[in-house]
Amino acid sequence: MFIGLASGIAVGAGFVAFLSVLGIIPRLTQLTKTMKMIHYYEWAAVLGVIGGAMAALWNPVFSISPFVLIPIGLACGTFVGMLAAALTEVLNVFPILAKRIGVDGQITYLLMAFVFGKVFGSLFQWIYFVSK
Amino acid sequence: MDHLVYIRMRHRLQVKPHETVFLKDVAQIISDETIYEKLRQIPVHSVTDKDRNIIVIDVMKIIRLLAAFDQTIEVQTIGPPQIIIEVIAKGKKISMPMFMLIWFLLFFGAALTIMNFHEDVSMQEVQQKIYTIITGEVDSKPLIFQIPYSLGLGLGMIIFFNHVFKKRLNEEPSPLEVEMFNYQLDLDSYVSMNENKESMKNIDDR
Repeated sequence: MFIGLASGIAVGAGFVAFLSVLGIIPRLTQLTKTMKMIHYYEWAAVLGVIGGAMAALWNPVFSISPFVLIPIGLACGTFVGMLAAALTEVLNVFPILAKRIGVDGQITYLLMAFVFGKVFGSLFQWIYFVSK
Repeated sequence: MDHLVYIRMRHRLQVKPHETVFLKDVAQIISDETIYEKLRQIPVHSVTDKDRNIIVIDVMKIIRLLAAFDQTIEVQTIGPPQIIIEVIAKGKKISMPMFMLIWFLLFFGAALTIMNFHEDVSMQEVQQKIYTIITGEVDSKPLIFQIPYSLGLGLGMIIFFNHVFKKRLNEEPSPLEVEMFNYQLDLDSYVSMNENKESMKNIDDR
């Protein structure tokens, strides 16, 4: 039991450290101007992790309409998309790339290529690639 | 006679639209008692609709205003060389639906990522599992989850970078622009240190 608790603490701390390095929560509060609610956002992430861990390990079954999955899927995708965006930013990919090929002004087009690539790649994988 | 006036610009100021900003709002002042009250009431800027929501006022403008006010004033500036004025349209209200949306997003995002971690980063298995948890059925291709997920990926990146082609979602600079700026600053400081022979002296040069 002690080992379980210890590993849980390690993983939880790692998760929170990862989130704060990428700065997704401050970014969201800045966009929506809800700086005062930041503590509730922390709790959202914490409860989400606990809920996710329980769902993954206990396999509960709710048996409700599959349409509930649409907003959940969208939320999950948005979160992962933001993670990916934050990661590329930490690695400084875009500024260096734009400087090298000299397209400082058109950086949003680079960005759009990236976004469409992600969406297309993901759709391709789930619809076609998996069933091959 | 000469008056010595000390000026320290504030870092950030929030104002309402169509308000006039006075010197006392943008800076801390220390001066002779005789002119102190008059200095405080010098108008610096009237906010108009053209200003949008961020205005930057440089300390040079303040010095020019003070010189126009009284030629004999000598100004000493301390602290930041400019102030950022933020125009806030309505009272700061937290929009509840927005908050709920972000809460929901963080909750399920965190849940999905930790499930991924537990399943050895197999997104497919996690999505099948979520499908089973919610509906109670088994589906090897839960497209009803996967298609919104794929669209969400793009949406998340757009939200993060605050850009849809040329159109901005709001006026804040995007992290990408900040990152470009920081990269340029790094390059500039490298160049100014390394191209300037006087900036470093080694032992053998003496």
